[in-house]
This record gives sequence, C-alpha cells and structure tokens, in this order.
Amino acid sequence: MASSTGLSLKFSPLSTSFKQNKVRGICNVNSVSLPSRGMRLGSLRLRVSCAAKPETVDKVCSIVRKQLALPKDSPVTGESKFSALGADSLDTVEIVMGLEEEFGISVEEESAQHILTVQDAADLIEKLVEQKSA
Amino acid sequence: MSLKFNPITYQSHKLPSFALPPMANLRSPKFFMASTLRSGYKEVDNPKKPFMPPREVHVQVTHSMPPQKIEIFKSLEDWAENNILTYLKPVEKCWQPHDFLPDPASDGFYEQVKELRERAKEIPDDYFVVLVGDMITEEALPTYQTMLNTLDGVLDETGASLTSWAIWTRAWTAEENRHGDLLNKYLYLSGRVDMRQIEKTVQYLIGSGMDPRTENNPYLGFIYTSFQERATFISHGNTARHAKELGDIKLAQICGNIASDEKRHETAYTKIVEKLFEIDPDGTVLAFADMMRKKISMPAHLMYDGRDDNLFDNFSAVAQKLGVYTARDYADILEFLVNKWRVMEITGLSAEGRKAQDYVCGLAPRIRRLEERAQGRAKQAPKVPFSWIFDREVQL
Repeated sequence: MASSTGLSLKFSPLSTSFKQNKVRGICNVNSVSLPSRGMRLGSLRLRVSCAAKPETVDKVCSIVRKQLALPKDSPVTGESKFSALGADSLDTVEIVMGLEEEFGISVEEESAQHILTVQDAADLIEKLVEQKSA
Repeated sequence: MSLKFNPITYQSHKLPSFALPPMANLRSPKFFMASTLRSGYKEVDNPKKPFMPPREVHVQVTHSMPPQKIEIFKSLEDWAENNILTYLKPVEKCWQPHDFLPDPASDGFYEQVKELRERAKEIPDDYFVVLVGDMITEEALPTYQTMLNTLDGVLDETGASLTSWAIWTRAWTAEENRHGDLLNKYLYLSGRVDMRQIEKTVQYLIGSGMDPRTENNPYLGFIYTSFQERATFISHGNTARHAKELGDIKLAQICGNIASDEKRHETAYTKIVEKLFEIDPDGTVLAFADMMRKKISMPAHLMYDGRDDNLFDNFSAVAQKLGVYTARDYADILEFLVNKWRVMEITGLSAEGRKAQDYVCGLAPRIRRLEERAQGRAKQAPKVPFSWIFDREVQL
C-alpha cells in the first residue's frame, strides 16, 4: 500500500489508473515530477493512497490496546504490526470483531488478510464506512 | 462475520510477518486447527515428483520437556499401574466387531446382511460422510500409537516393554483397533459408500501422519489425548444418537459402544494430567496453556482422497452442520477440562503460570463468543461432492 510521502500534488490526467469519483481531503495523490527530458507520460502510474483520518487510527489503537491489555505507555501507532504487539490468531480475530462492532462494518476475509498494521486496519475501515454510506 | 480463520503457523519469509489468518466458516472446528499445506492440487504432472499428500507446515519442535522431568514419569509407574491400568478392560470382557455385524458362520448371514443394507438405505448421505470421516480417523491408529511412543518418559522402548506406560499404550491401541475394524466392516457391507475411495483416503492419511505439537513432551501429550478422547466420545455419542433417530438401532449400538470406550479412555488420560497438576502444577498449567494456544488439531486434519484439496474442511463442515462435532463442543471440552482439573483453584504459581492460568480459564467464553458471532453471520454454504459417496453432493 502506498504511503503519503508529502510530495506536492501533481495530477497528470494522461496516465492515471486512479478512478476519481470522490476526492476526500484525506486522499493524497502521489505523482512523480517529470524530468524535463523524455519521460513518457504513458508509462507513469499514479499510486494513490487514501490515508485514514487520525481519529480512526486512534480508535483502532485503543481497541488494540484493550484487546491485548497493553500498558498505557507502550507505543501503538499506525505503523505498529499486530504480530509485533503480541497478538495471537485469536486476538486478531477478536480485534477485527471489535472493529466491526465499533464502526458498524463487515469485514470480508480477503480484505482481512491484508491487514498487517494498525494503519491498514484504519484504512480498510474508512473504505468500508464510505462504501456503506455511498 | 464471514471471515475465515485458519491459524497459520507457517514460518516462511515469503508470508508477511503477520497476516490476519483466513478464518474457516466458524461453523467448523477448523478454526482451531493447525494449517496444512498441499504440495500439489491435481493429478501428477511431473512423474519425477509423485504427488505428496498434505503435510504439516509448522516447524516441528522436539523434546521440549527438560530431561530431568523424565524422572517424574519413572517414579509414577507404580501409581500408573494401580490407577491407570485399571481403566483397561480385560480382553475377555471386551466387545468385538463380530458382536455387531452379520455372522458369516451362521445360516442367517445373508438375511442379516440384507437387513443391514435395508437399514442403511434409510440413512442420508450427510450422516454417511460424517461416519466415513470418523472411520477414517479411527483407521489411522498407527499414527496415534506412534504419537504416544514419541513421548519421553512413557514411550514403549522395545515394543514389548513392561513399564506401566508401555502396557497402557499397547492395550489402549488394541482397544482402539476394534473401532476402525467395526466401522470398516459396517461401511463395507452397507453398500452406501465408495469403499475404494475410503480405503485410498486411509492410505493417504496414515502416510501423512500428524504432528499434534506435543514435542515429545508427555505433559503436552496427555493433555492432548485428554482433549481428543473427550472429543471422540462426544462425536461418536452424537452419531449414535442420530442413528437411533434414523431408526438404525444396530448402528446406534455400534457407535454407542465405541463412545463408551472413548469415555473410559478420557477418564484415564484426564487422571494422568490430574496427577501431573498435583505434583507439578506450574509445569502442567503452562503445558495446558501452550496446547490451547497452539490449538488442538484434529487427528485427521491431513486427510486427502486424491481429489479434494479441502476434504477435511468439507468433512468438518458437515460434522458441524449435523451437530456431531462443533466449535461449541470444542469450547465445552475445554471448559470441562478446566473444571475437571480445577485450574482456577491452583495457587503458588509463578508469574508465567498465573498468566497461563488466566489464559486457560478465560478461553472458553472467548471461543463461544466468536462462535456465536460467526453463526449470526453465516452465509449460505455450497453443496459439495464427496468421493466417499460416489461424488454425491452434501450441503455444507
């Protein structure tokens, strides 16, 4: 999953695989600034990431903390990997259940398999919440 | 939820260090199984590498019990003679498969066979799938005797060792042997199933073996067998009840007698672990938590019939649907053992021991909650063919 690198937003209409229906303020489109000599626009691919709102990430962190009974001072951030935090397979299933309950969503197996970090979970949640209200 | 859960313990750099494991429809106890790897999906393409049946993918750990603890089992031999061997039934008092099958030496043989087949016609395919799966599990007995003989301190060193443990293992094996024989002969005579496919499945399964992750450690080993014997007791008890409801009293007796053996065995194994809790509470509670974390894998989880890569999952789903053996049973067994061994009351544990105690005592409710959620979200499952019944389909 692409992550925001803070590059300036340059949206090239020629070579995008990005379907833009709704651009929310949280979506960052990364582009590569074209060097002046001959880079073919056709070969450019935009990688789009929709990074979740910080509040979502925070909610995920707190659900994870609760499930794993982590002490208050132990670091849990977007980058935290579930396995590194000590979650076993049962914990992870329960975490996802907790997220489903908290956000009113239903997580499909295929999506769940790609959740490695807190950020991944938050991003998926936002996507599912958006789909639900669409 | 519709998540699938199959705990992946595969240690490969190719897999992400963590991925939310796919959850089998929580309608099956597969949730609690070690994952398996199929090395091929179809018939052999490459003659140089003949198809390999499913094999375990987790790293196989050995001899995790500190060697000084072997002494414990040596010192318990007299105790075992007086307290465990008493659960064996003398051969002269045991039922034999002959007692529940048409008698070939009698004039009424053909008539008896006809009756058996007529009763079997009334029994639906999904029941037969479960009965066949149970039979195949029983027929893989060589794997289980082997497993008992991997346990340090209690293994049969020569095949005819006279330690109480070795005597137990051989006699236990001998009792169990009748189960597979009886079910095999019944299924053979019934005419309702494809014996060749079943026989193939048995051959594959014995070839695959299994690693229940007991690590040559009798603490882990006897906790595992305690759980398993109760599981088979429940399972055969349910098939007995179903057979009765379906009007086949003889089949009900068959399953019922097998179930009562399993109950007796369960009592013996739980008694061993009870003793271990008494003399080494910390070590035993740690072992209990360890086995539960690793999940109790079903003995036949590597089953394969040469055609279906998801055979065990499909079989489990049918067993779950029929209520023969379910995820709820798994939680119930766990709770039964926690109570039987009075894990909550143990004191004087180390810090690790207390964590293990908390884990084990809190686990059954968590499993039940998961199971309830999954049931609430269960989607319509497909119908799948089983080669054991000539590719007729059964609703999962």
